[in-house]
Amino acid sequence: MESMNVIVCVKQIPDPATPGALGADNTLKRDGKLILDESDSYGVEMALQLVDAAGGGEVSLVSMAPNGEVSGMRTALAMGAAKGMLVSDPALQGSDALTTAKVLAAAINKLGGADLIIAATESSDGYTGTVPEQIAEVLGLPSVTFAKKVVITGGTLNVNRQTEAGYDEVTCPLPAVISVTAGVVEPRYPSFKGIMAAKNKPLETVTASDLGVTPVGWAGAGQSIVSVTQAEARAAGEIIEDDGEGYAKIVAFLENLKVI
Amino acid sequence: MIDWTDEQQMVRGAVKRFIDEEVRPHVEELEHGDLPPYDILRKMFATFGMDAMAGDRFDRQIAREQAGTAAEQKEPKGGDGSGLTLIPTIELCRVCPGMVTAMGVSMGLTSAAILAKGTTAQKVRWARDLLTMKKIGAWAITEPGSGSDAFGSMKSTARRDGDGYILNGSKTFITNGPYADTTVFICKLDEGNPPEQRKVLSFVLDRGMPGFVQSKPLRKMGMHSSPTGELFLDDVRVGRDRLIGETEDVSSGGRDGAKTTFMQERAGVAAMALGIIEECLELSVQYAKDRVQFGKRIGDFQLIQDKLARMEVARMNVQNLVFRTIEMSSIGHSMTLAEASAMKLYSARAATEVALEAVQLHGGNGYMSEFRVEQLARDAKVLQIYAGTDEIQITHIAKDLLRR
Repeated sequence: MESMNVIVCVKQIPDPATPGALGADNTLKRDGKLILDESDSYGVEMALQLVDAAGGGEVSLVSMAPNGEVSGMRTALAMGAAKGMLVSDPALQGSDALTTAKVLAAAINKLGGADLIIAATESSDGYTGTVPEQIAEVLGLPSVTFAKKVVITGGTLNVNRQTEAGYDEVTCPLPAVISVTAGVVEPRYPSFKGIMAAKNKPLETVTASDLGVTPVGWAGAGQSIVSVTQAEARAAGEIIEDDGEGYAKIVAFLENLKVI
Repeated sequence: MIDWTDEQQMVRGAVKRFIDEEVRPHVEELEHGDLPPYDILRKMFATFGMDAMAGDRFDRQIAREQAGTAAEQKEPKGGDGSGLTLIPTIELCRVCPGMVTAMGVSMGLTSAAILAKGTTAQKVRWARDLLTMKKIGAWAITEPGSGSDAFGSMKSTARRDGDGYILNGSKTFITNGPYADTTVFICKLDEGNPPEQRKVLSFVLDRGMPGFVQSKPLRKMGMHSSPTGELFLDDVRVGRDRLIGETEDVSSGGRDGAKTTFMQERAGVAAMALGIIEECLELSVQYAKDRVQFGKRIGDFQLIQDKLARMEVARMNVQNLVFRTIEMSSIGHSMTLAEASAMKLYSARAATEVALEAVQLHGGNGYMSEFRVEQLARDAKVLQIYAGTDEIQITHIAKDLLRR
């Protein structure tokens, strides 16, 4: 391909380095400054590399976040994405995965679609891991999940798809939706020039109604978070003194776990 | 300017991540293993496009000079861009201030000396590679017998020899001296006249020139990641093309060039001090929360609170000075030497006091290398000594006041 346009779905999340807080409905509070989800930085990098390899085209972003928040999108723009569309609408607060997928799919359509749509396998704060496949379904496009290597040859997508046993080699026509695993590529640092340029790159903010999506919010999500409890502290590990036979104990331990 | 802009914060975040990934894992080798800092600094320059930006800026300046019409026209000063060079300084100083010393002397001091008074050909020949960190520079003024009295006691000489010069002398405490590719050598023109009447000249030397010896790194109290050495010149023969400005009649001799360099150096020290103070304060606050004695966290004791509060006051003051520098630069104003001296004096003292108090707050742990404030306290001390001692800064400030 001589030119390739890629849209990356990026989530902006509360900084995991600072303690998160829950609202009355047990959902994560997202009213402060949000950052680019690290798991999406791999998708942005992958998109930039694919466009580079194609020799033309551009990377666009779509995101859904409250309060018109674009800090995380600016990071992706600083890395090299050309433009972005943010969907920000109080009526979307508490949206479930399917509504999120419908909104993002509508935003992708409003941007005119793309040759390839990339998302992370799952976000670092919600972990539903279902949005990319739902976007593909809404858009009527093929979907390849858990991509650990992506190459485009002659308009065909070639993916090494991570499995428990190794990987599958999958081919698929474009346009398509893929979800990429962390570590698929090494996300670049934004250059200083890129950071300064990012503030002037186009970022359009739209609402659900601009996209023709009916927001159902938390009330229509068909789910509720009944309670949240602290994760159990990990139990202390077993310490084995190596008396020369330590390796045998380790082998036995791993065999017991059925990992070897 | 009352706070970092969003862009500057993004730059800080990116630089911080680079330092976490590329510098922290090597701190032990940089501080105690004689690993020169240059490859990591070059990687930082390449990663953030600092080399390309510096090169482009230089090329534009040279193009203007060559056009002739606007030789004096400086690069337009640019709003948010003004803090970009100070941010890596601040962030690196939180971990490895010596790296900033090495970087600042090379791409700052040495290139500035050539850019201030050099001919266009000399700038192209030497300054571009220094600005992009392709080559490493050293700026050699201090001698075994001349420190604060840099010009008065200077013994290094240049003697005319046909159309060129023969250089002799020795320099010490020269940052990057052991590894420099390009050295600016400051000396006096010996015309047989008394030393106090001699003109000060600056020459550019390349590594490996006959008669020019660069020593191994000297052992010192702190700033271990900044290689410091001695230089020895024994009848080093140079052409006129290496005399900065290619004239012996640079206005006010070489003194003006050196003073411009002093000013820039002093402003940079405030940013270094800010990095050290921020890190010491952050580590101290955490330690005050974690460390329990007499059944309470030590942060609950008023004597510890006093230390933390004083550190915060120092942080705010030094940050304001740095913000002022950025703001002035963004509108194209330059600081007077006395202002730069006042800023350097305050910041250097504040950094040393904060770092030593951080050691005290950490108690026995603070005296151990593992707790990092030990290194920062050793590093901070030199801020009161190099780039003009505290005493020299005081003299400059007072003279300026009394001249008004």
